[in-house]
Amino acid sequence: MDAFLMGAAEVLSLTTLTMMFFGAIAGIVSAAIPGFTVTMAIVLTLPLTFALPPLQGVAVMLSVYVGGYTGGLISAALLGIPGTPSALATTFDAYPMARKGQPGRALSLGVWASFFGTLISTLVLIVAAPPLAIFAVRLGPWEYFSLIVFALTIVASLVGHSLQRGLIAALIGLAIATIGADPMMGRPRFDMGIDALRAGLPFLVVLIGIYAISQLASEVEDPNSIKRGEKLVKGEIKFDNFAVMREVLMRPVNLIRSSMVGVAVGALPGAGGSIANLIAYDQAKRASKTPEEFGKGTPEGVIASEAGNSATAGGGMIPMISLGIPGSAVDAILLAALMVHGISIGPRLIMDNPDLVYGMFIAMAVSSLMMLVVCLVSMRAFLRVAEVPKWVIVPVVLVCCIVGTFALNNRITDLYLLLAIGVVGYALKALDYPLAPLVLAVILGPIAETNLRRALMTQDDWTLFFTRPVSLIFLVAALLSIAWAVRGILKSRANAGSQPTDVKDT
Amino acid sequence: MSGENQELQNSESGEIARLLSYVALLAASVGLFLEARSIPTSRFEALGAGAFPMLVHGALILLLIGAIIGSLCSIPAAAYPRFARTVPLWARERRLVLFMFLCLLGYMATLPVMGYAITTLIFLLVLLLTLSPRTKSAIALSVVLALVFSYGLNWLFAELFNVFLPRGR
Repeated sequence: MDAFLMGAAEVLSLTTLTMMFFGAIAGIVSAAIPGFTVTMAIVLTLPLTFALPPLQGVAVMLSVYVGGYTGGLISAALLGIPGTPSALATTFDAYPMARKGQPGRALSLGVWASFFGTLISTLVLIVAAPPLAIFAVRLGPWEYFSLIVFALTIVASLVGHSLQRGLIAALIGLAIATIGADPMMGRPRFDMGIDALRAGLPFLVVLIGIYAISQLASEVEDPNSIKRGEKLVKGEIKFDNFAVMREVLMRPVNLIRSSMVGVAVGALPGAGGSIANLIAYDQAKRASKTPEEFGKGTPEGVIASEAGNSATAGGGMIPMISLGIPGSAVDAILLAALMVHGISIGPRLIMDNPDLVYGMFIAMAVSSLMMLVVCLVSMRAFLRVAEVPKWVIVPVVLVCCIVGTFALNNRITDLYLLLAIGVVGYALKALDYPLAPLVLAVILGPIAETNLRRALMTQDDWTLFFTRPVSLIFLVAALLSIAWAVRGILKSRANAGSQPTDVKDT
Repeated sequence: MSGENQELQNSESGEIARLLSYVALLAASVGLFLEARSIPTSRFEALGAGAFPMLVHGALILLLIGAIIGSLCSIPAAAYPRFARTVPLWARERRLVLFMFLCLLGYMATLPVMGYAITTLIFLLVLLLTLSPRTKSAIALSVVLALVFSYGLNWLFAELFNVFLPRGR
């Protein structure tokens, strides 16, 4: 109880609340701009939190996180362009609804669904994280290694257009993670005599290079649209009233089911909002009495997608807090923020720093409330920012990325790495490799290697990976996720052969 | 029909480009696998520092060989000459991307010498003025933005966050 009160006191202080308020605004604005993902917003926030106490810094980042998941719906609803990958399914119904003359309703539905989705996921987080942490401390290196194998296979199989390229991307990420001193004995590997590589590639530099630089480069691919001063988001917007709240609450089953899907998908390391919104949408369509209305502007679809993606915020924090494994790239940056402050991450986090963990729970709830207030009060003003032309956004954000990267370690060599990784990231993106498995593998690689070697140091017996029940479950789940993905590919090929025009159903 | 043909050609070119990436990755992976084999094992553990990289590159090599075989089977022979013609076109269409990366390269090269503020000012001015429409308001806005995000950001980080961006020699 003391820890809870200490956490609450720090989060509810005026300074923290003020900073969280601005964080929520930053998250909503950034995610409203297509191509500017929640991950990028969090990355840019990270250096600003270095000077803050740990909980205050994480609370600000959580407000950006929660705001970002909601902001993605703005351009999804108004233009049919998902502001973030997690708003993809939102375009299926919010956009047709807006085209039918109800843009305000589409936005309001999304905002309220996001609010309730985040609240539900926070409740689940509070209930599920502590017992899972107690369970997690009993897991050995065999289970951890198998868990990471499972996480990488599930993300490789769910993200992108090709399972094969997903797995290749994950393995490239693992290969990148092996550069530099090995995590057990510190023996140098693959540094090619280059000083900057001796300590390995900092994963935040990889993250910014792969996601941000490659995305910004993609934005300037069309010279004509840039020269015309084309805006990222255009259109006249009317933002409606609170009456939509009742419309959302009148659909409790859809809201709770979609939120639980979001929590479950978010809790799987490597998955995230980009997958959760699609699964939640799919489940809502299957459960609906009028599935034929989906894709034509039904509120059910908007609620499912937005509740689903927002609930991943709480879900993603379950493995992060209880296992020390990031559920998504954003959670990885939150982990980094804690590590910068010297806080050890892992199953003992909740036991060693209960005030911090309870403070994070409270910050999640407060963030969702702030997101709601900010959206309802100032949506029109945000939309002006979303209308900034690309020729302004790209150079300015590029400089922000450079400053953010430099501020991580105060090293110019990190900037050279950023450029090299950015070029590689752009090339991989252009070649249609999914980038999420690569980045997550860079983060999870050292953990996988440490646990594999530790397991075999403890007992020189490979069969233990298959004979310990929890480890076996994870490995079987990894195999099943690949099998499921292969089945999906075969099924969609068969459907494409029989119904070449019906793309959305596949 | 011509649209469908164009789409097919683009898809073929994309597949050939991916094939080349598989080959390049395979070459790198084989090299790193061999280097990992040469890392001595430790007397304190069953696996050495080279074991995990060998595992990763071994799996990557197998996947890449599979991907190369798959690509070779799916790409028609006539697609290769067409690919050679599409590469310059692809590069020309993405001239702004290439220009952006060149600007970044120049920026990184001069940053340690000239310092953050002046290098960023020049970098932003060049990039903004290249990308912006040719109007007086766009030029004025470019100058203001360049000043704010160079000298302004430098001041903000130094005064507010105690983070000193490169000062130059």
